[in-house]
Order: sequence, then structure tokens, then C-alpha cells
Amino acid sequence: MDETDGNRRGECPFGDDLAPAVQRIDEAERTDASVPDIDELVGPPQTLESEIQGVWALQAAVSAAILGVIAAVAFSVLSVGGPWIGGAVFAVGVVIGIVLSVLRYRIWTYQVREDSLYLRRGVVTRVETVAPYVRIQHVDTRRGPIERVFGLATTVVYTAGSRGADVAIPGLTPERAADLQTRLKQLAIAAEGDDAV
Amino acid sequence: MKLDPLSVPVRAGESVVRLAWVLVVFLIGSPAVGGGVSGAAVLVAGWFLVAIAYQSVYYQRFEYELTDDTLDIVSGVVSRRNREIPLGRIQNVDISRNVLQRAVGIAQINLETAGGSSTEASLRYVSHEEAKRLQSELGRRKRVGSSDGAREEAPERELFSVTSKELVLLGVVGIDLRLLSVVTVLLPVVAPSLRERFADPLVGLAVTAPLAAVGIVAVTAVISGVLAVANYYGFRLSRREEELLYERGLLQRYSGSIPLEKIQTLTISENVIARRLGYASLAVETAGYAPGEAGSQSAVPLADRDRVFDLARSVESFEETEFERPPKRARERYLIRYSLLALLVVGGAFAADAYTRLTFAWYLTVALFPLAAVAAHLKWANLGYDVGSEYIVLREGFWTRTITVVPYYRVQTVLDSRTVFQRRRRLATLVVDTAGTSGLTNRQPRALDIDDGHAEELRELVADRLQEMVRRRRSHRRRERLRSIDAELPDEPPNPAT
Repeated sequence: MDETDGNRRGECPFGDDLAPAVQRIDEAERTDASVPDIDELVGPPQTLESEIQGVWALQAAVSAAILGVIAAVAFSVLSVGGPWIGGAVFAVGVVIGIVLSVLRYRIWTYQVREDSLYLRRGVVTRVETVAPYVRIQHVDTRRGPIERVFGLATTVVYTAGSRGADVAIPGLTPERAADLQTRLKQLAIAAEGDDAV
Repeated sequence: MKLDPLSVPVRAGESVVRLAWVLVVFLIGSPAVGGGVSGAAVLVAGWFLVAIAYQSVYYQRFEYELTDDTLDIVSGVVSRRNREIPLGRIQNVDISRNVLQRAVGIAQINLETAGGSSTEASLRYVSHEEAKRLQSELGRRKRVGSSDGAREEAPERELFSVTSKELVLLGVVGIDLRLLSVVTVLLPVVAPSLRERFADPLVGLAVTAPLAAVGIVAVTAVISGVLAVANYYGFRLSRREEELLYERGLLQRYSGSIPLEKIQTLTISENVIARRLGYASLAVETAGYAPGEAGSQSAVPLADRDRVFDLARSVESFEETEFERPPKRARERYLIRYSLLALLVVGGAFAADAYTRLTFAWYLTVALFPLAAVAAHLKWANLGYDVGSEYIVLREGFWTRTITVVPYYRVQTVLDSRTVFQRRRRLATLVVDTAGTSGLTNRQPRALDIDDGHAEELRELVADRLQEMVRRRRSHRRRERLRSIDAELPDEPPNPAT
């Protein structure tokens, strides 16, 4: 803001202390230089990085291994079957996990739209979410241990809604995640958020 | 400001009572009762002294102050805590007093904000007058902060007060009919094995079945009646400017304020009995309470259906609702689901009859199949949604039918979800998420099993309407502010630019 502009606006019969908090200003003056044009921020539907399939498959393998151990212990105590059932459970779990990971990757889509973030995900239950920017509370980027191994990150968008951190976009490279985070932040600022709580 | 000095002995007493309970349980379990009792008495006395000392320090260190736009609380004995709660962020202000607290004239005051999972601030205890003053002062300052001029105490207008007839009805309506349905389903299965105890098998069945049903109804009715009277005795709902005020309770008195501006959704619920009698209840949800907390009890417990709708409309002016039902193919889903359930029960009964020594009249459970058809129809018939200009209204449930009014402005996220089974029938569920946390039902406002193409349209429509509402509010607020600036400056502010 330059000098003359400041003077012009600050002119007030009561002096600076009593200047009203809200002033009549032209719409044209209100554009904030720090927020780029909205057209630059929005984009077409995006997919996740393909490495995310590895993350999901590995996560599934971990749960399958736990289940397998439980099954092995249970069946070695019981009279029927034997510890080999644990191995079978693990194998089946891994196969299901891999298939689901591939399908989940193919379905996952997100789009930074003009006034809302759109997500589509889910293999068994397909969920399509619209999160309007006016409702964004804050945007997080997080990286779990397995994600770090694969060089990935997750961006989480928080709203005041009861579903908490339901709007999370996994499988982004750290750069993409950071970029998405800034873009969402700028869009949320441009939307002049209002949490309605 | 400090708490009421009486809070020291009361709080100390509370902690002693808690300890005493543990000791009673412990003593009953131990064999050496004689020595144990005197030891316990010493322990309780010692604990009381410690508690008194701790609570006096707590009292010394607890201070609160109401400023023009915040409530400041300094508290803590071991770790000190300094809080400033912006008044605009306070959701509900609740005052509660149990019998003892009423006898000594003190009250607990709870302040809810949207952040965090529990009550934001709790003042235990202040005098009842102070609690009342704080409650009305909080409401007043909030208004002064948001609009013009410091007005005097606004008049209170009564919206609803419960009559003794409604209180009795509340007990009747409160019976959980699902329990009854379980009993009626189980009885024909269990009864035949009870037959042997009676000389005449027919007498056995004829006596046990109705007796059990009547007994269960009577017991639940008495319990729910007592609870209803205790909770809602002297219920009163009134409105003071932009706030709803309620009061209720027999032994423990509750009173509180709900700012209209903070209301997220309205829920009108009517169970089977209430529907037949033409009654309904209204719950008002704010973002303040943690899920599971009985916050939304702070609404009309039971009143004439039309009255409830009038009250709801005085809070949110939604139009006359005309519900659209999901497509008929949704009903087939429920029919299949319930039939499978029936099949499971029949199969289980048959297996029990064939492989155990118990003799069942398992074939009687076949009657569940026609019931499944009825249940499927009832579930379908009670579903519905209505897309209004400012509100989306959703209806669901047979045993307890809930009608949820969601203003577009309160929507946080919208989503539609489709399970595998729903996809096969081209159905989808639309979920409209708000910041409201319902205490009674943990159910989210949703339109179950609507046509999937329509669900997609609705998802975008709700999101668009939200944008429109936000825009409308923003321009309204801007106009208000400009008007208040104009009111302050008699002439146009000098503006060389124009």
C-alpha cells in the first residue's frame, strides 16, 4: 500500500483511533495482490501418484500379517486345522489387499474446482465428496512412516463438520502436496471463509 | 470475580463422597469388616482435610472476568491456565443445580464452544444469582458486540411450557417399542419349551406370553415415566431476542441459553406411539456439545405435532414440507435385506431344534417373512427428502421417525456414497454434513437410497446453494455495517476520490 493511498483512506474526522473498522471502498481496490487469480489455481481432475498402490498394498500386508499370526496361534491351540491356516490367511489377505489397492488407485480422483474441492474414492463404497472452500478451517500435510518410504505425502482438509478429517488426499509427492496445500489455502482466503458455527 | 466461597466445602465433599463409594465397594468385598470400617473412617476424614486444603487453594487461584468481548478465566493449582474465550464463539450457556446445590444456593455454569471435544469452561460453583447474571450478561454483550446500541434487558417471551398431561404422555411415549418387538418375536420360539412347566400346554403359552409382554411394557413405562418427569419437570422454553432459553428438571434443575445464530440443524422426532397420538419432539443442535452428550435435550420434549412445527418454523422459517420418497427399487433392497435376516433366524431356530435337546416351534418363525415385507415397506415409506429454497429437509425411520431441517448455510461438506449393492440398483445416499453434533441420535442428516443421478445433482445443488447463502449473508452484513457507519457519521465521510 503506497503513501497516497493510505492518506486517502485514513482521512477520518475523529482521527486514527476512532476510524471505523470497516470502510467504504471500491470493489476494484479490494483485490489482494497475495492471492493470485482463481483461474490459475483451479484445474482438471487429478489422479494420485501410482506409488500409492505400494503404500496401500504394504498397509494391507501388515494387517494381513497380524491377522495371520492371530489365526496361526488360534488354530495351533484348537484341535482342527494347524498353524498353516495362518499362512493361508496371510496369503489371501495380501492378494485381496493388492487387488483393492489397484482398484482404489484407479478410482481415486480429486479436482480443485472453482469454489469447492471435489473427491471421488472407494472401491466397495464409492464416495464423492464436495468440500466448499468457504468451510475450510485449515489444511494439513502429513507423512506417515510407510508414506515416507515411498516418498509420498497426504494433504488433509479440515472443516468444522462432524466427520472431522474426512477430506484427505493421499498419494501425492511432497511437492504436489505442498502446492495443493498453498492453493487450497489461497482459495480459502479468496472465498472469505465463514465457518458458520 | 471469584467463585462462591461455598464451592470449597461442596467440592471437597464431592471428592470425599467419590472416595467413600470406592471404600464401600471395597469393604463389602473384604472379610475383616470391623477393623476395615474404622480404618476407612480415618481415611475419609484425612481425605476430607486434604480436599478442603486443595479446594481452598483452587478457590484462591480461580478467577474469572467478563470483559466487553471476552470471558477471561485464570485457573489451576499445579499447572496454571489462562484463557480468553471470545464471546462470539460461545455456543450454549448451561446452568445446572442438583438438590444439594439448590439447598445452599449455588449453581454450576458450563460454557460450550465449537472447538475441542469437551465443555470449554465450567464454573463450579457460583451463586445462583451470579450464574443468572452471567448468563444474561453473556447474551447481552454478544448482541451489543454485533449490533448497535446497548439496550436494556429485553423481555422474555414464553414459547412453550410442558403441561402435566404432556409429562405423563412423555412417559408413555418414551417406551422403547423395539424392545417390545423383540419380545413378541422371541416369545413363540421360547414359549413352547416353557410349556412343560405347566400342566396344560395351552395355558402355559396363554399365560406366559401376555404376562411377559405386559410386564416388560409396565417396567419400561414406569422407568421412562420416572425419567421423563425427573428430566422435564417444569420444562419451559422462552425466547429473549436472539436467544432461546430453557429450564427443566425436578431434582437436578437445568437451565440454559441457545443463541439462535448458533443453531445448526433442527430435528423433529416422533416415535410410533407419539405419531399415533399426534405428538412430536423437537431438538435443536448447536456445534457446542461433544458427540454423545445429551446436549440436544435442550429442546421441546413433547408437544402437539402442529405446535412443534410452528415452534420449529419460528426458529428456522422452512416452507411447508412435501417429501419425495426414494424410488421403489429401494424398497426391494430392504425386502431382500430383511428376508435374509428372517432366513437367518429361521435357519438358526431350525438348527437349534434339530441339533440340541431344546424343542422349538421353529416353524413359527416362518411368520417373519411376511413381516419382512411389511418392515421393508414401512422403512421405505418413512424415507423422504425435500429440497427447499433455503433448507433441505430429510426424513428417516419408522420406529422413531426423524425429520431433520438443514439450512444450506450450515452445510460443511456434501457427499454421496454408493455401496456395491446400491450401485447395482443405481441408488446412492446423500450425506449433508454440518458442524452440529446430535446428542440423541448419532445419525447424520442423510437422504438414503435416492436415485444416483439425482443424488449427484443434489450434491452439486446443495453446494451451490451454500455458496449463494454465504454470498447473501456477506452482502447483508456489509450493508449492516455500512448502515451503522452512516449512523455514526451524520454526513457522508469526506472522500476526495469521488
